[in-house]
Amino acid sequence: MLNVEKLRLKFPGDSDLLFKDLSLHIEKGEKVLLLGPSGCGKSTLLQVLSGIIPQSVEVPMKAESIEKPASWGYVFQDPDSQFCMPYVDEEIAFVLENQSVPREEMRPRIRQLLKAVGLELDDIHTNIHTLSGGMKQRLAIASVLALEPEVLFLDEPTALLDPQGTEDIWHTVKAISEHKTLVIVEHKLEHVLDLINRIVLFNGEGEIIADGPKQQILSQHKDTMRAQGIWYPGVWEDYKPSEKLEASSEPIIRLEQFKGLRQKESKIHVPQTTVYKGEWIAVTGDNGAGKSTLLHALMKFIKTTGTYEIYGNPVKKLPNDLTFVFQNPEFQFVTNSVYEEIAYGLRLEKRSQQEVDAKVEELLERFQLTSFRKHHPYQLSMGQKRRLSVAASIVCNQPILLLDEPTFGQDSKNTFALLEMLRDYQKEGSTILMVTHDEQVVEHFATRVWKIENGLLAEDRLVQTREREPAMECL
Amino acid sequence: MEFQYNETWLHKINPTLKLFFMVGMFLFVLFVHQLNLLLYLTFGAFILFWFFSGHPKKRVALLMIPFILVFVSTATSMIFFGKGETTWFKFGLIHITEESFYRGIHLGFRALIFATLGLTFTLTTRPVKLFYSLMQQAKLKPKYAYSFMAGMRLIPIMIEEFFTIRNAMRVRGVQQQRGLRSLFFKLKSYSIPLLSQSIRRAHRIAVAMEAKRFSDASKRTFYYPIGYSKTDGLFILSFVALILLSYYSAEWLPLFPVGDVRYES
Amino acid sequence: MNKGLKLTDILVTIVIAIVFGIVYKLWGPLYYFVKPFGLHVDQLIYGMWFMAATVAFLIIRKAGVAFLAEVAAASGEFLVGSEWGLEVLLYGIIQGLFAELVFMAFRYKRFDVTVVSLAAVGSAIGSIIMDFYKGYIEDLALWNLSLFLGFRIIGSILIAGVSAYLLVKALEKTGVTSLVRPAAQEDYDALDEREHA
Repeated sequence: MLNVEKLRLKFPGDSDLLFKDLSLHIEKGEKVLLLGPSGCGKSTLLQVLSGIIPQSVEVPMKAESIEKPASWGYVFQDPDSQFCMPYVDEEIAFVLENQSVPREEMRPRIRQLLKAVGLELDDIHTNIHTLSGGMKQRLAIASVLALEPEVLFLDEPTALLDPQGTEDIWHTVKAISEHKTLVIVEHKLEHVLDLINRIVLFNGEGEIIADGPKQQILSQHKDTMRAQGIWYPGVWEDYKPSEKLEASSEPIIRLEQFKGLRQKESKIHVPQTTVYKGEWIAVTGDNGAGKSTLLHALMKFIKTTGTYEIYGNPVKKLPNDLTFVFQNPEFQFVTNSVYEEIAYGLRLEKRSQQEVDAKVEELLERFQLTSFRKHHPYQLSMGQKRRLSVAASIVCNQPILLLDEPTFGQDSKNTFALLEMLRDYQKEGSTILMVTHDEQVVEHFATRVWKIENGLLAEDRLVQTREREPAMECL
Repeated sequence: MEFQYNETWLHKINPTLKLFFMVGMFLFVLFVHQLNLLLYLTFGAFILFWFFSGHPKKRVALLMIPFILVFVSTATSMIFFGKGETTWFKFGLIHITEESFYRGIHLGFRALIFATLGLTFTLTTRPVKLFYSLMQQAKLKPKYAYSFMAGMRLIPIMIEEFFTIRNAMRVRGVQQQRGLRSLFFKLKSYSIPLLSQSIRRAHRIAVAMEAKRFSDASKRTFYYPIGYSKTDGLFILSFVALILLSYYSAEWLPLFPVGDVRYES
Repeated sequence: MNKGLKLTDILVTIVIAIVFGIVYKLWGPLYYFVKPFGLHVDQLIYGMWFMAATVAFLIIRKAGVAFLAEVAAASGEFLVGSEWGLEVLLYGIIQGLFAELVFMAFRYKRFDVTVVSLAAVGSAIGSIIMDFYKGYIEDLALWNLSLFLGFRIIGSILIAGVSAYLLVKALEKTGVTSLVRPAAQEDYDALDEREHA
């Protein structure tokens, strides 16, 4: 069905081969999960197996023999960059047009495909831009199903989704894949384990280190998975973070009838609250509830009304005491090297070279970036980029750090590393406000939770002790 | 990008025909040197724009504000610095003559009619329909048409990114930098993330399109079959009528006392 | 146009062009605000409207890209509702064509700042030809016309030539351009290495 013998592949400019004589065989109807650390080439292999490499993407490769499926579909990671049309119906129609499906048959087919993935819209002519990430990914699956594929390739389809979206996607995949072959790349195992039967485990050098039934691999290679940063069930229990810190009683931010406005409409409303020094506040809530908007309002990116004071002083413009880490770290980068990126804030303050050196070295060390100091920020891995953006944001010792889902789409290794670095920062007396979807992050790190519902700070509670949940049963 | 509007007869015209007709009008207007004729033509185009775009009057009025600026800015250079014999006003380098004044006004109206026709087209044509029509009527290759459509889809995402980058730059303190060098630095700080993100996204979309078996080689069907209709005839007729009426009006009721605005020495 | 452009090349070109289309649209108000100050200071910033062609060509380095980019940027500007209306389309075609001709004259093999600046001048000349038809610029007083032409050409070289060149150099450092450039033969040769030393 799917077969590759002695595959060699090299990315232009890299010094080493990514794959050296790699062989893999997949039978019809198998449901296979490819696992491995970031950068081990799982996604690349998926593209080779489907033929995307070298047909659409030129990457130098050769193989002794390669057998590709006759019909296949491919779901990509990023919901925003796999569609070419603006509306739901037009996107699926695009795939039907590609196969010369007669026009009269298109509308019923579109309805039927949307139904199959549980995306039942009142109007199929709905703008894709208005859908949530999870709905977009279901649309991606629907448009791929229009190809009537025997083999489905799924390349981390839930990496950029919240927990609800993730669950929905795997539910959908399960429903449609009964008679299909599945080849999946994913590092969040929670739901995907239900539908696969075989796991292929890679190491960081692009070699297969284990291949077999899922139970066997999961029980025998747990340590490897932990080291690789895979989100296997029970990873939090194995991680055992240190105890949470206590906040002080010194108030730093006071909000009363605070509103954030977009186009003159109130998008977030905080009736009354006070933030104390040293707190770690997790901002939670559904998609579109207004979590990011709250942070934007605090940063004064948008217009606000009501009382907003820091250390008793009313805030009028972008406050110097606050700093902000964006979801996409690249948007914050302004220089050509990791070193300069961290130094930038200090240079603006006209600090002496000695001072800059000392501070930057300290942060490089702390954020595990020392050996990358000369790299271009864009050339770092995702985890490194996130760490760099935090390092560059806190270089001027701002007492309050705001973060918009900083652990989003990260593997467990990078997530834990980043959270620990933040905790160190908190230990020094800084206050952290962080948007997150991850219940575990809330339980293990936050001292307080703000739950946002429909643009209102609806719940404000302290998280004192860490509750231990029983290890998840998946096997 | 999502606006509510009513469909008018202008929306029903074949987009390719509409586009070529508008371009034809553009070329025609380039050879109109009679101010009075141009004035009536502009007036006619304006009626089309004002009454038949299908958009609420308030929005149409708002869209017109830049027209005035374009009119003024296009007209002034010629009015102040154009050649002419009959001096009206002279101060330093500025030299306004009767000839340069009318020529300037003529240029202003020319800019105005281009803007009016262009905006009428934009307001009454959905880009997706335009590209579907160009594939079917003008034999535009699908790989160009779909690339355009995919690109258009990204515009709102890019605009959102632009604002995010602006906020990020504020947090980083980029606006504190001053001087000429900072201008290039700012330009770079905006364009590098915007361009690199766009290039990666475009690349991924292209790969995704081919993964969905898009190819120029195979014959395709069309979700939106677009042809010609009677409205197209009405459209052509109305333009012919507009041109003829303008000729007669310019002849019988000239509003400006000038003919050809070009300079003859 | 050119059979050699793959879907990826076209899509990337068009998306780059659309980024510039938005910039073009934002540049409009700036242009007509500086314009009435007279003396054609506005012409110094006119070169921004030639940038899509040179930037896209420097990134993708293939025949047809400069032309496509400029046309696409103009279409983008037009379709989001330009206050210049239809003329942007025709200007785009001419400007793109002239930039393309310059790159063609060097057989699409040179990507240095001189050639890019020449292409920018090419676009400028294209736009000036259009202006002769549209704007009666020959009817400006001679000193004024010279100022107009001089400023436009200098501005083009600075913006669409030098700045475009520097911008793409900075972009290359991010590594994103390797997505659209072909792999080198050495990379293919490396596949045949027997063992790693």
